[in-house]
Amino acid sequence: MNVPQAETAVQVTELSKKFPNGPLALDRVSLTVPKGQLLSLIGLSGSGKSTLLRHLNGLIQPTAGSVDVLGTNVVTAGRRELRALRRNVGFVFQSFGLVGRLTALENVLSGSLGRLRGPRLGTITYPKALRREALDNLERVGLAAQAFQRADTLSGGQMQRVAIARTLMQRPSLLLADEPVASLDPESSAQVMDVLFRIVVEDQLTVICTLHQVELALGWAQRIVGLRDGQVVLDRAVDSLDQDEVMDVYRRVEPGQRSSQSIVDLQSPTSDRVA
Amino acid sequence: MPSDLLIRRPDSTTKVPGVDPKRRLTSDRVVMRIVLVALAVAVIWAWRHIEMSFSGLIAGFGDVQNLLGRMLPPKFSDLDDAIRLGLETLWMAVIGTTIAVVLSFPIALGAARNTTPHPAVMAVCRGIIVLSRAVPDLIFAAIFVRALGIGVLPGVIALGLHSIGMIGKLFADAIEQTDRVPREAVVSVGATKWQAIVTSVIPQAMPSFISTVLYRLDINLRSSSVLGIVGAGGIGFLMQANLRSLQYDEALGVVTVIFVLITLMEFLSAAIRATLLGGERTLVGRSAPRFSVGARLFGRVRRDHVRKDRPAARVDPETVRPPWTGELRMKTLYGLAFLVLIVVAFRSVSLNPGELLGAFDDVWRVTTRLFPPDFTTARDSIIDGIIESVAAALVATFMGALISIPLGMMAARNVAVNRVVYGLSRIFLLFVRGVPDLIVAVIFIAAIGLGPVPGTLALAFGTSGFLAKLIADAVEEINPTPREATFAVGATRSQEIVTSVIPQAMPAIVSNLLYALDINLRTSTILGIVGGGGIGFILFNALRVLELRTVGAVLITIFTVVYVIELLAGWVRKQIL
Repeated sequence: MNVPQAETAVQVTELSKKFPNGPLALDRVSLTVPKGQLLSLIGLSGSGKSTLLRHLNGLIQPTAGSVDVLGTNVVTAGRRELRALRRNVGFVFQSFGLVGRLTALENVLSGSLGRLRGPRLGTITYPKALRREALDNLERVGLAAQAFQRADTLSGGQMQRVAIARTLMQRPSLLLADEPVASLDPESSAQVMDVLFRIVVEDQLTVICTLHQVELALGWAQRIVGLRDGQVVLDRAVDSLDQDEVMDVYRRVEPGQRSSQSIVDLQSPTSDRVA
Repeated sequence: MPSDLLIRRPDSTTKVPGVDPKRRLTSDRVVMRIVLVALAVAVIWAWRHIEMSFSGLIAGFGDVQNLLGRMLPPKFSDLDDAIRLGLETLWMAVIGTTIAVVLSFPIALGAARNTTPHPAVMAVCRGIIVLSRAVPDLIFAAIFVRALGIGVLPGVIALGLHSIGMIGKLFADAIEQTDRVPREAVVSVGATKWQAIVTSVIPQAMPSFISTVLYRLDINLRSSSVLGIVGAGGIGFLMQANLRSLQYDEALGVVTVIFVLITLMEFLSAAIRATLLGGERTLVGRSAPRFSVGARLFGRVRRDHVRKDRPAARVDPETVRPPWTGELRMKTLYGLAFLVLIVVAFRSVSLNPGELLGAFDDVWRVTTRLFPPDFTTARDSIIDGIIESVAAALVATFMGALISIPLGMMAARNVAVNRVVYGLSRIFLLFVRGVPDLIVAVIFIAAIGLGPVPGTLALAFGTSGFLAKLIADAVEEINPTPREATFAVGATRSQEIVTSVIPQAMPAIVSNLLYALDINLRTSTILGIVGGGGIGFILFNALRVLELRTVGAVLITIFTVVYVIELLAGWVRKQIL
């Protein structure tokens, strides 16, 4: 049953991760994501969302359990195999992960490194076809005019859109996004999520996105998975959920079992950002 | 009225819970006291050991004045020669720095925690860095002259190998301080480790790289101007020849040329730093000097990335090439200029890279002959020599500190009494810093005679300039608010300096003092080469008679002592900062 079916993008089985000198970050997490699904991971900071996401493209190796992504066993994959997988998996970071001193275009171009041999530094070291593709991708996120502007002069929302354009260079079939809008103000957040959503639909991507704004998650995802202390405490389709149930993930009780304690211990999702 | 609202005069009978009426002795206070006492004892011991005395100081002062009288006015009868050798000195510095950069790059990548392929590689690379830093370039040069013969070649290799220490260390630091996330992002698109390093780590560290290279070029010019003393090329040879034949006015002429060269280079490198790195964060030096004569001469180049109001550049969708902006033009121009400079340097000293590579073979051969080291033949003189070197360094640092703290205050714009004092102090510092320590030592020795005292005085002279500049820079960066508060209660200028400026600048002063001690120790090990006492004398003698295994023993001794003092200084710095 561990064999991923053709229509499965991600299959995580009994995944556990313990960092040296740290608590159990993931505790027997199992998760199957079919192709084309838009899934949102929610939970307090430290609940294991980012750790789970980083297992999916092999940035972190698990302590126990198996991870299958797009037909590749991430745990046993060799370096070459892992790189081949990463080429197909886009990753969007909370802090954008742009090289500030390079131009927006150069940052986008770096998304094609998986397809190239040898190191590159500077726009003209990339083939012309890739340069055009990079410009097109900047156009898709609405930043073609800023192509030759240094990344560290862009606004936060613009930076994240450049980062999205960078993952587009990979022509990914799976997109992992780790708190893509947590560092942004509401207006830029909405812009970035719009861009992301449009691309995901146009390109028919599978998406796993960690979010802490519950309203965003509800409005955007098809399925919501809640993590607490490294364990899955909620896994439901969005249409069968209401906001209160989702909010329970952030409280100290099991979702659906409301008690008076939850009021005392109320942790609003916004405190996640502060913490 | 609640009693704790009363303002009470603190006296020993008042007990505040948790606060001892006497100042609490925290562990760092204890350390500070022990260090201070130990340093004081060490300085007193050292003072007596090298037979320094106040009467001797005054007599020495008279001797130097005497010699200066015979030096002035400087004569430039072989100015052509001096300029030719001065240029040779510059080319040597350029080539030496180039060698160091080429070698440092892989070493830094191996030594940085986040790029090293393996912990063992990291240990080896860090070992190379520590070793090459601990052995002064003049010692490298003296050894290589024996292997390669008199000329430019041993000099540039010595500069190159010694500079790995600083450049490699600072490159590695810059690499370690890069942001991790962009690299993770590039790795996650399926890039290899090297692709990720080139695309995300190198661009982040680049401003620090450039700043380090410029800084080292500055230092290497000072070094290469004295390498001639051991026959390793450059203008130092001419100065010593003049001194030997007692043509003091000619010697001062040569020193003037050296001074002009060094000062010009300092302006130039400040200007390049300002234009190339303005607004960038770097590890070395203040990246964008607010006031620099050089920057004013060159003007401030428009930095595209700082100007957000700039209309978006039009992109040619066909070629997608970066637009040829002023900034890109400037960077390309500087890049080309540096390449041309390196080529010109190699051609001017008629050195071809092949010859250089071949020379490393000889260098390796002479290095292997240093082992196994022979500690027994010259045991006593090695011990005496290293003790004398340490003593000289201690006394020189102490004397330098005595002069440089007030001098540093006068040269700090925010503390100086007025603009005139500030200007004069800065000009004075420029003069002191424009003459390398070893040249001052040679002059002092010519005036006073052989021995550790003139060597120590020369070091103290150099230290006062170097330290005063660092202190002045540190003082200029202190927070003005506590100072205003002190003035507001009616304090005088001197009260204010003691209660608010010095305490604020103290960590920087102590840290720079330790740094000066570190540098002085390295320099004091080479003073013996020009007759200034210490272990350098034994080294030079052993080299002359080709007792290379004794040279090996001296090198190991120097390395050990320098390294131990560096560790000690590092520990003290950590305790008190």
